[in-house]
Order: sequence, then structure tokens, then C-alpha cells
Amino acid sequence: MVNRTAIIKQPDNISFFNDVYKLQKEYQEALIVDNSNPDFIWIGEHQLCYTLGRGSNYDNLLFSLNDNNYDVFKIDRGGEVTCHMPGQLVTYLVLDLNNFNKDLNWYLRKIEEIIIKILGTFNIDCHSREGFTGVWIGNKKIASIGIGCKRWITINGFSINIDCELENFNKIVPCGIENCLMANMIDYNKNLNIQEVKRIVKKIIQEEFNFDFVSK
Amino acid sequence: MSHEIFMPALSSTMTEGKIVEWLKNPGDKVERGESVLVVESDKADMDVESFQDGYLAAVLMPAGSTAPVGETIGLIVENEDEIASVQDQNKGNQPEVSTSDQLELVSNKTEEKPVVQTENINKEAEVVLKSEKPVPSFKTDQINAATSNVSSRIIASPRAKKLASQMGVDLAKVHGSGPHGRIQADDILKANGQPVSIPWIGEGGSPASIPGANLGVESKPETSGNSFGNPGETVQFNTLQKAVNKNMESSLDVPCFRVGYSINTDKLDNFYKQVKQNGVTMTALLVKAVAKTLKKHPQVNSSFSENGISYPENINVAVAVAMEDGGLITPVLKEPCNTDLFELSREWKDLVQRSRSKQLEPDEYSMGTFTLSNLGMFGVDRFDAILPPGTGAILAIASSKPTVVANSDGSISVKKIMQVNLTADHRVIYGADGASFLKDLASLIEDEPETLVS
Repeated sequence: MVNRTAIIKQPDNISFFNDVYKLQKEYQEALIVDNSNPDFIWIGEHQLCYTLGRGSNYDNLLFSLNDNNYDVFKIDRGGEVTCHMPGQLVTYLVLDLNNFNKDLNWYLRKIEEIIIKILGTFNIDCHSREGFTGVWIGNKKIASIGIGCKRWITINGFSINIDCELENFNKIVPCGIENCLMANMIDYNKNLNIQEVKRIVKKIIQEEFNFDFVSK
Repeated sequence: MSHEIFMPALSSTMTEGKIVEWLKNPGDKVERGESVLVVESDKADMDVESFQDGYLAAVLMPAGSTAPVGETIGLIVENEDEIASVQDQNKGNQPEVSTSDQLELVSNKTEEKPVVQTENINKEAEVVLKSEKPVPSFKTDQINAATSNVSSRIIASPRAKKLASQMGVDLAKVHGSGPHGRIQADDILKANGQPVSIPWIGEGGSPASIPGANLGVESKPETSGNSFGNPGETVQFNTLQKAVNKNMESSLDVPCFRVGYSINTDKLDNFYKQVKQNGVTMTALLVKAVAKTLKKHPQVNSSFSENGISYPENINVAVAVAMEDGGLITPVLKEPCNTDLFELSREWKDLVQRSRSKQLEPDEYSMGTFTLSNLGMFGVDRFDAILPPGTGAILAIASSKPTVVANSDGSISVKKIMQVNLTADHRVIYGADGASFLKDLASLIEDEPETLVS
């Protein structure tokens, strides 16, 4: 695999969802216009919000859209509704798959593999489930994946629950799976913290995609 | 002129995709590169873009529906005034979506902008392919973009990449023999120490320059050279060779004539490039074209019998395949008109594989009503074939070659020309029958190869 330069951003503060989404779109657009532009990786946390894919079923949202208590975003990704919040680590990858493998199934499986490696670093045993994209610990979901793609340039990525208020998932049918139980990494390894996970996420992404990271 | 939007393949394993949303409504202006719809497979979705400036004329598959990869799902026209005629052509044909799907679709959209209005759903049609020119699918575009890029990257054909991952070959260590050092399937085979398979049976109106596409087909035995015995020897015919001899001799009792035609394959080649990645083979394309033309010319599908002209109930196209150890076999693609191109290609691959391992059932090689013989991959410019017994005609297909052509307006251009030569039993098929069959076959291949999809 070839070495690619990727810009990495990993803010320590909690980021507003829409700002990061716009940023991703800018990097995606730049790559569409000129494929010599760098890939972009973002690792961080959001304030509480709910996001829907373009094909999402609104029935999986268990509160009214008129309820102004919650931020809801409809974004360019596949999959059903999910939830972001502090304590959950979100990773976005704007990658030009033309340089890797123009195969979205390959990409989804690759992301699952990456998440499994990340959790493995913390001695947490987890697995993927055929037909249920994401990463699971037993029957509980620890990480969710949703990606979008335009001219093989990806957007969005995955989220791992580290130590977050899982009750927030009760207001939706996560990923459209009824009675889907969610899990936090902290429940399986008391000694970890989100900064440490962040470091490992960066390291494993770098290894798996063979990136030269440039911080910004 | 209308251009088709196809269901793209988001991954090598994807067979069908779900249309999440049409970002444009029929009648809307679209620009080249603008997203027209969103397709989803698993947790990934992909924007499908328009490849030319124009107008979205028809949505053939509504949001919420699922379509096989390669299926035409929408039509784009270049001029606004063409919208109405394309919509008219598609009117009356109901889409393959059940009423409940449509209702669900409408109710799903209540909380957002209704992307497809009910009126449009009624207009949506099954694939009606009227376009005159194949649309370069976005994947081709992407491939071009990738290949024209800087040399620091590894550039390999999709087939080569797949083979490399299957065989565990490191692409970085392979020398590419293709244009601009692109790694081809052959390079992977070489790197893995495997002999490069030379296509031995018909995979094309084009010379064997696409070796990857020909894997799994008959290959020439390397050791025995081009003969079955050694100098000075006489080798007995094997059973298959004896059977072929008998069949060939019986043609001596048939008063045959030949008629030939030169066909421009520029559009066919373009279309082939687009569908090849979905597993479509050139043989399947040619069989499909012949079968569709035979449907209009049942006389050419007929054969001589003692009681008179016998018209078979079906159109079954046999294709001659040379066997490594001598003789040939003619696996039959049954009713190609009723099978879509992708399925037909799969059937053909299966037939070839099984004929190689001699596992064909008798009805799989003896039920042909018309035969194709393709020597295009050897670069031959023309040949004629011998009529198999029990059938009325056989078509010999030569290589498609760049040829200087004088056009009717007096200009000169270079076009890919493929010569075909029909051998027919004059007791049942006359010169005019053969000639008009060839004329229609040529216009199908030259003008609307994309209709070969279904």
C-alpha cells in the first residue's frame, strides 16, 4: 500500500456536530476537485445530537421532530438513526478509496476490523456480526458505522461508546434494530480513558491505511 | 438523445442496490458531475452523478426500490424538449414495484420533501432502452481518473487487484505491463508463477488483449504445441473428434451459401467496457444480439427436415468451443432473449467451465437452433464456418479491427470493424433472409448495444 498524507484533527474540546460535518464536506469536495489533495481524519466528541442517514426511517426516532430539546441532523451516510454525545469517540474518515479499494463492502469490513483492533488493545473481546454492520460485545453494540461516498471519496465513519450516557439511545431505535442493547468500553476495562483510546484510534488508523499524518 | 443511469456496483460482492433518494425530479436540469440520486448498500451510501449536462427525463425505479447492478434506473436527455417524448415512451409500462411499496414510499416521505411525486411513480417504467449512445458510467470515469494519475501510486486493473488479493501477491512488487505501467491480471499471474492463459474460445470481437476477462476458459496446452501427435505419427481420432468429423461430413449433403457483413463495433466495445466489470462477457453480448435478431428473423432460426421447413419453438444459441485435447463442443445458451445479460454471462461461464471438465449434459450441447463461431481473439479478419447438422445457419465472427472507413458524406474515419459471415442451408434460408438478418444484427450492434442488457 502506498503512503498517503492525511490531515488529522483531534480537538480536546467537545465539537458542534454541524461544524465538523461541514469540515468533512469541504475536504471531500477538495478531493473531488483534485485528487492530489490530502485525506482527512477527525477524531473527537460531540455534544448530544441525533443523526439520520439519507435513507433512514423516521419511525426509529422515538421523539417528535418538533421537540426542540434535541438536535437532529440528516446527513450523507447509509444506515439508520444514531446518537452522539460526550464520552463517545467519533472518528470521521474522508478517504479517497481510489487509492485503496473501490469497494464499499471492503471499506465497511475494514472499519470493523480497525475497531476490533482498537478494542483489542484494551483487552476487550469483541466481534462483527454478519448482516449487522458495527462491532459487538456479545449481544451489545459497542461501535456504530455509517458512511457516505461520492466518487469513491468517503465521508463520516464510526463511533465507539467509551463512557457515555447510554440512556440517550433510548430515545431512538439505534441503527433500526429493535431492542438493541448498547455498551460502553469502560464497563469492560475500568482503567481506560478517552484520551488513551483516541491515541490508539489514531495509531491503528495510521497503520491500517498507511498514512503520514499532518496535524492541523 | 437519452442517456441511461445504471445501478452502480458499490462493491465487488454487491448484486443489487437500494435507491435511497432521487435528488432530482423528472424534468429537473442536471449538470455533469452533479449528484442525481443516492444508492445504498449496507451502511454505506453513494452519490450517483450525471455524466452530462441535461435533464432528468425519467425515473425508472422509484426511491425505496431495489434494482440489480447494471440495471437502468433513470434516463437523462440532452435537451429540454426531449423530456416529453422520453416520458411518453415510458408511459404505460408499470414499474416492478408493488402497490404497497409505493404507498410505503409516499408515507415515508411525509416528514420531508416528497422526492418522487405519485404522478411520476405511475409514469415510471420498466427498463425501456431507447438511448442511442451508451453513457460512460461513473466507474469508467473513475478508472480513467485513477490511471491518469501520478506514477507514485499503484495502478492496477480491478481484476488484477482481486487476483492479487486472492493469490496473496503484493501489488507493489509487480511490474505492470499495461498502459502507463498499469498492472493487469496477467502480470499478477506471472508474478505468482502461473502460466498466462491464452483465450482459446471466443471471448470477443476484440483480440485477446483483455486476458483477465478470459480466465477460466480453454487454454492451449503448452507442451504439445499445436498438434496432437509427434512428427511421423498417426494418432487415432478420439470420440469427440470422430463425432465432429461425422457432423462436418454431413454438411457435404447440404447446399450452403455464405453472406458476409462488416459491423462497426465502436459502441458495442464502449458498452462492453461498462458492463465487463459486472461480469458480462463478449460471448454473452454477441449471443444476446444474435438471439434478439433471430427473434425478428425466424426463418434464419429454421432448419431443413424431410417434412418441410422446421421452425423450432425456441431460440437456442450454440457457441463453438475448442477442446484442449482435440475436437470441439457447442454448449448451448437456451432462450437468451428471456435471460438478462448478467445471468447469461454467468450461464456461459458455467457452461465453459463444465465443458472443459466434460461435465455437460447432452441437452446442454445438442439443442442449439443456431450456432456462433468466434475466432475474433486470434485477430483473424474473416473466415467461414461449416454448418452443423440439424440447423439452418451458423455465424462466423472475426476480429474487430481499427479500419479506415469511407463515410457516406465523403469523409474518412477510423472505426472498429468486425466481419461476420453467415453460412446457411439454401433449402430453407435464402440470400435475402440471410442478408436482412445481418443488416438488423449490424444495426442492433452499431446503434443500440445497450438494449442488450435485458
